[in-house]
Amino acid sequence: MTRSRRRGDNAQAVLETALVIPILLFLVCNFIAVMVEVTVQEQLNSATALAAQSRFQAPENAFDVLGTRCCGAHGVTLVTSGLPTGCRYAAETFYGTMTTYTGLLHWKPATLCTSGGDSGNAGHPQAPPVAYAESPSNAEVSCDIGAVTTGGGVIPGYVDRTLNPPSGLDVVTCSASASLDFANTPLAWGVFWTPTLHAQAEAVPPPFRQ
Amino acid sequence: MGGDFEGVVRPRRTPRGRCGQAIVEFAVVLPLFLFCLIGALDAGLWAVQTSAEVSAVEQAAMIASSAGSSPVSETAPDARAVTAAISGRLRSALFGTAIDSWCATDATGNCAPDSTQRCPTTPAEVQAKEGPRVVVVCVSEADPPACTTPPPGLRSPYPPGCADSPMITVRVIGFVASFVPPGFGPGAGAFELPTDISATTHTLRFAP
Repeated sequence: MTRSRRRGDNAQAVLETALVIPILLFLVCNFIAVMVEVTVQEQLNSATALAAQSRFQAPENAFDVLGTRCCGAHGVTLVTSGLPTGCRYAAETFYGTMTTYTGLLHWKPATLCTSGGDSGNAGHPQAPPVAYAESPSNAEVSCDIGAVTTGGGVIPGYVDRTLNPPSGLDVVTCSASASLDFANTPLAWGVFWTPTLHAQAEAVPPPFRQ
Repeated sequence: MGGDFEGVVRPRRTPRGRCGQAIVEFAVVLPLFLFCLIGALDAGLWAVQTSAEVSAVEQAAMIASSAGSSPVSETAPDARAVTAAISGRLRSALFGTAIDSWCATDATGNCAPDSTQRCPTTPAEVQAKEGPRVVVVCVSEADPPACTTPPPGLRSPYPPGCADSPMITVRVIGFVASFVPPGFGPGAGAFELPTDISATTHTLRFAP
């Protein structure tokens, strides 16, 4: 009787261990996944902020000439002929900065270059940005750039009415969205969620421009 | 009386058996528990370190893109100046890790010109030169191709992009200190993890 009880104790201990170890590993996997998510979000914020800022490194009214191409994720080339040069600068900065963790990300395609968005207020309805003609729609980052002049006409830039209310302030706003997928990592064993990351950054024109 | 205990394991052996069993259980569970504990600690530490690096590199890119040696400068700022600007932020998070600037000095003691400045491509390259648990800050500049007369039918500037301002890349690369024990992790040695964070942006240039 005592021998069978001891065997029972052993079985119980093995069962306890078999239950606890997977739970422990599950918790550790998810803890690591949250840390990775925080880090990737940080990187995305940084890339988007630098992209918005770099729009102002280009001359204000410069446009890309025929044959100009730009960087892209996974070797994709984006044609930027006819688009504001500042938009390409923003994209080059974004892709040049967002170089790590790209294997974990599934990007949400976006229009590279837009203009004319409005954050809205009581007097002005919120307006979505309008895509530039010929702007690639398969980019990973989308930038609504400031006012530019094309053939004498002025295309309004993004007006953020939370800045300098009520008339708002012309700003550059860049955004990017992606989902984080752990499927091809060892963490896939215990991580069953796919977080969606979104980053948006605004930059105001500096007092000095080329 | 004695016949009542026949066929029964003597009670004095049971505590010793249980004690042995507990030791075996403890010996099995302890490494697993330590593995999980160190893994969780390391993940937290790694996230803090990487976040600090990302924000420091972003700040460095902003500094490097707008702070040439003069308003009409054609060269990136000295890597050591950029390192000095961000080392405080890095040092607060990268404890146990040395921070250095990747700078090949010329005869005058300044960093070599950008054309000869090449950032390390792998953390192992940094380790080979600087030793374990060292990260370096590297600043490099890529200049656009020279403009030429466009062929008939094409508009200047030619080739496309030749009038662009140069691109600055700031890279923090190397191995950071961690709790990874010997034989584990992707590091070449013990107690370190590789890191490679970079930021690229166009430089701000004023017309001469």
